[in-house]
Amino acid sequence: MTRLVPTGEMTLGPFFPREFAAGANDLAAGVQQGEVIEITGRVTQLDGKALDNLVIEIWQPDSQGRFDNPGFFGWGRAATDANGVYRFRTIKPGGYEKRAPHINFLLLYSGLMRQLQTVMFFEAAADPVLDAVPASLRHRLVAKREGTVYRFDIRLRGEGETPFFDD
Amino acid sequence: MLAKRDPRTQSEGVVAGYAQTAQRWPSQPLQARPLTPSELTGPQQLARRLAPVRGDLAGYGEKRAIGQLIRLRARIVDEDGVPVSGAVVEVWHCNAAGKYIHPNDTNDAPVDPNFYGAARMVAGDSGLIELRTIKPAAYPVPDTAGWWRPPHIHFSVWGRVWLSRLVTQMFFPGEPLNESDAILNAIRDPEARRRCIAQLALTAKGPQDALVYEYQIVVRGRGASPSLR
Repeated sequence: MTRLVPTGEMTLGPFFPREFAAGANDLAAGVQQGEVIEITGRVTQLDGKALDNLVIEIWQPDSQGRFDNPGFFGWGRAATDANGVYRFRTIKPGGYEKRAPHINFLLLYSGLMRQLQTVMFFEAAADPVLDAVPASLRHRLVAKREGTVYRFDIRLRGEGETPFFDD
Repeated sequence: MLAKRDPRTQSEGVVAGYAQTAQRWPSQPLQARPLTPSELTGPQQLARRLAPVRGDLAGYGEKRAIGQLIRLRARIVDEDGVPVSGAVVEVWHCNAAGKYIHPNDTNDAPVDPNFYGAARMVAGDSGLIELRTIKPAAYPVPDTAGWWRPPHIHFSVWGRVWLSRLVTQMFFPGEPLNESDAILNAIRDPEARRRCIAQLALTAKGPQDALVYEYQIVVRGRGASPSLR
């Protein structure tokens, strides 16, 4: 069978409808099992400016490390506000097999010709994806805990740049 | 397994004439990583969470949006050409004067009270979505040396797994601005660029009130397997 070439990705642009980004950042609503946490952070560019209306989507397993739990959807979306801040409310994911607990992040924005993929970890544990990042940069993928809030700032480019993945 | 992105058919990085890319694309090389179930699964039955809204942006009678009426037929398939039935598809575009509904759009162009340029649809069994709308206009990009975006429609599509996610833009055939657009031309392969341009269907065969454009979107992934787990 002839293999089709995936359509070229293009930038989200600056005018992604706010209604699409709204209302999808609470993954914990109605979920019975697991520890409810909040994840928040600020997204900045090379010159340090905070980015407004940048879209972040996340994908994660449930508290037991399962992706097929009908009681936990595992996917969410948020947009940054005028201060560059995003927020998610979710369940702390469990690890599975060789994977330490983590949340997949996908970023879409004007000036990004395609999606950027990164991963948030809860601690600097052994993990095949975290281990793929140079040791000196791994701490940038580990969220800072403040009570039930995990802070995960994202720097697209420049000093303290967040590691992103190619796949 | 998913094939790596081909740099000839995919755009990335810092693009000449598009200043924001130099502020935002990472300076460090993207890291290779092993693929695990985490990247090769994805939300199932996403339409339950992201319900369809507005499959018709053009309206009728006194509520009809200004502009050339079009019907857009887009088919969502995977790399094997298998329709991705149930795929959630979001589209958004500017009005016939080049103005978006978004409050951040500062272009000095009129809002059309009968046009709301955002829709969400779910592909049927044949992977098809159909949108009745008006053709968007070209518009100037602020703070650039005369860059005008050609008419285009933004697409946001979910494939079967996390790494199948696709956000792109669809262009219209025969538009002179297609030749100079920094975003379309960031895709180096001419055939890959051509596939980002919709085709006008034969007018004798279509509905008599609208121009029909046909388009195909290929999301990453092969076969009908919903996930690798």
